[in-house]
Amino acid sequence: MLRKRRVLRAAVMGLVALIVATACSGTTGGPGATGTAKAELAAVQELTVATAADGYRNDDKRTTIGMYPLNANIFDTLVTLSPDYQVMPGLATKWEFRSPNTYRFTLRSGVKFHDGTPFTSKDVVWSIQRIAKQGGGTVGVSEQSAVAVDDLTVDITPKGQNLRALQQLVHPTWSIAKAGSDAAKPMGTGPFKFVEYVKDQRIVVEANDDYWGGKPTLRKITFRFIPDANTRVLALQAGEVQISDIPKESAKTITGDFTVSRSKVGAYEAIYVKIRPKEGYDLGQDKAVRQALAYAIDKKQVVESVWQGNAEVIQTMIPPAILGSEAGRITGTDRDVAKAKKILDDAGWKAASDGIREKNGRKLQLTMVVGFPNADTHKPMPEFAQAQLKEIGIDAKIVTTPDTASYEARLAKGDGDLWVEAGSQNDGNPCFLPDLLFSSPIPGGDEESNMYGNSFAPGESFDATIKRCREATSTADVQKAAADAMKLLVDEQFVVIPLAGTYRINGISKKVLDFVVHPAGVQQRWDSVKLAK
Amino acid sequence: MLGYIARRLLYLVPVWIGISILAFALSLIAPGDPARQVLQQGGIDAPSPEQVTAMRRELGLDQPGPVRYVRWLSSAVRGDLGRSIRTGEPVLQSLADRFPRTAVLALIAVTLGLLIAIPLGIISALFRESSLDQLARIGALVGASVPSFWLAYLLILLFAVRLRLLPVAGAAEPRNVILPALTLAIGAAASLTRLTRSAMLEELVQDYVRTARAKGLRERAVIVGHALRNALTAIVTVTGIRLAALLGGAVIVETIFAWPGIGKYVVDSIFNRDYPTIQGFVLFTGTIVLLVNLTVDVSYVWLDPRVRLGARNR
Repeated sequence: MLRKRRVLRAAVMGLVALIVATACSGTTGGPGATGTAKAELAAVQELTVATAADGYRNDDKRTTIGMYPLNANIFDTLVTLSPDYQVMPGLATKWEFRSPNTYRFTLRSGVKFHDGTPFTSKDVVWSIQRIAKQGGGTVGVSEQSAVAVDDLTVDITPKGQNLRALQQLVHPTWSIAKAGSDAAKPMGTGPFKFVEYVKDQRIVVEANDDYWGGKPTLRKITFRFIPDANTRVLALQAGEVQISDIPKESAKTITGDFTVSRSKVGAYEAIYVKIRPKEGYDLGQDKAVRQALAYAIDKKQVVESVWQGNAEVIQTMIPPAILGSEAGRITGTDRDVAKAKKILDDAGWKAASDGIREKNGRKLQLTMVVGFPNADTHKPMPEFAQAQLKEIGIDAKIVTTPDTASYEARLAKGDGDLWVEAGSQNDGNPCFLPDLLFSSPIPGGDEESNMYGNSFAPGESFDATIKRCREATSTADVQKAAADAMKLLVDEQFVVIPLAGTYRINGISKKVLDFVVHPAGVQQRWDSVKLAK
Repeated sequence: MLGYIARRLLYLVPVWIGISILAFALSLIAPGDPARQVLQQGGIDAPSPEQVTAMRRELGLDQPGPVRYVRWLSSAVRGDLGRSIRTGEPVLQSLADRFPRTAVLALIAVTLGLLIAIPLGIISALFRESSLDQLARIGALVGASVPSFWLAYLLILLFAVRLRLLPVAGAAEPRNVILPALTLAIGAAASLTRLTRSAMLEELVQDYVRTARAKGLRERAVIVGHALRNALTAIVTVTGIRLAALLGGAVIVETIFAWPGIGKYVVDSIFNRDYPTIQGFVLFTGTIVLLVNLTVDVSYVWLDPRVRLGARNR
């Protein structure tokens, strides 16, 4: 799983969107479906897609061409992730957990690689060994982790105890390649075959007519790397590409011969409150302050005004769908200024003449750090939150860091009270984000690994809950434990204030049919897409 | 002449070493852990301490700074700038692959800028305070004031989205270079027009111009052969500076137009704390800037023989 790191964003998005909107004519699209398969299909089924900057690695040890971050559907994984975050069969048709730490996968029969050779368990073993040589990946595998039981059965045993391996294996970095294949010439079993990769320019794939999931209608897809988000939209408006992502800030203002389609919630915007002490940044230790913060911010306004309706209020930080029916147990908070004020009054925080509260001669002043994955992603939410906090007598000072590295450097030092982050859920493991962000630091452990824990870990009760989440062996138990952990964070300790779940938004030519936006970008499927006349 | 060039080359050595120290020091003072970055690039969002330690060792980051500098510099002079943390490719190869595109863009933009600026600047100076001059000055002022990203979007909207004459972005075909080159050329032309005008105005009132006219030279010969040649020293200097800056990568324009040049590549590297690439880039472009400056210096000898005489006198 990876939280998205948007590396470049034009500072003038809104202004440019306005120009685009006024300069272009055409029909205004709206959120919804992308067409039906009933339309007459075009004779030429060739699609061009605008995608962000080329993020592939291309070296002998860690090549990710076709896999990640752009999943060109050249490869399959053993298991896949549905748009509602459920683990589904992929190259494995079924699986079972074998205590203490092994998943046994039964592989799909009759599957062939793009060169016609049959897919077997030795390809799985080889692919897992390749990742082991790179360090073991998220699952934490060694070269001995994957064992072929027979041609169509494979056991995977992580190096350390990891019962979440199944949910992690949906990520495309766990793609299965042909044993012995050259990673620079991707050889998979996916619905599309590799044709060409031109660094920083494009990757081209063509239909794999022998695909086990059915012959794709599209004959060819060209993914063009266009790093600037505005340019991607302009390419869509000019008709150079048929699909492009659209920044949520401009989704309502951009017009053209395309519709706008959005996914379910896959990403989130949240404020973490520093609960652990650091000189000068210790006010978050006061539970009343954390609770008041949670009631101060109007999440509906964040969604409607800041994100212009391209998000929805969530109380779980991670996408609620991944928690299943357990998500409903987390009630969260809505804006209630009177309640927030009363909580602070009762805790002894009294408003001074300037409106800012004080207690024992100390002003209620908090530092809000904004910068993950970069500061521009959040604009203008921090200023909006700052104004709302002022209403209840909290003076929030905004500090922006330009990018992830400088944000994390500051977080490692713990210099801040409130930490604004945007992230996304890219695999099926509901424990991952709560575990990463809120588990207690390991004494003597890596400084940076512990940086979140050093600021946000609420302590033993949470650690016990997340341990339960890590060790659960059924989906229901995982969801229950993850929901318990989230409830503790959101409803009991107020250590995180989930603000909004954000959608992935795409502009899609009206000729494109059956394109379903997956909430996790790395899981996007292309094999059902068609082009109408 | 050769002695002059040799002397100038010698001056470059300490400057180049200074650049190398600066390039290397960047990696020591910037925040972020490249080892963690490599692991995260590979899809591991929360690498374990063991994975980070192993990666630091693999990347040589466990060595002290001075040791790393000496190793890096000795490899660099042998043409090995290391491997990119982000892409895994050899840095020198990556820079060399992308530099021709940046060079093409920069050369076209500067040439286009000069083709616009020099005639416009001369006309503007010759017809000082005329409406033509006013128009040229306003145009130059606007051209110099408009940010390149703004101009880039406007040009895309006009030529690609509305008129559908040119592609929006990419580098798949030769005509892809037109819009980014035009964007950069307009900015270059604006400042060079102003410079040409003021340099020409300065020269046109000189005694040698009056003498040339008095001895019956044709006006064209006076303007081009005498006044412009003297004005060129300033124009060449500024053109050299602008060209050197563009050869280092027109970051914004390359990003907007998805032009796979050196500028966009290095910005991606900066965001990803790809130190080997950043270091290599600073050294590479520092060297390019030094060479461009050397070329400009040498061109003075041709433009103004007094430079050569001055060199002899020393």
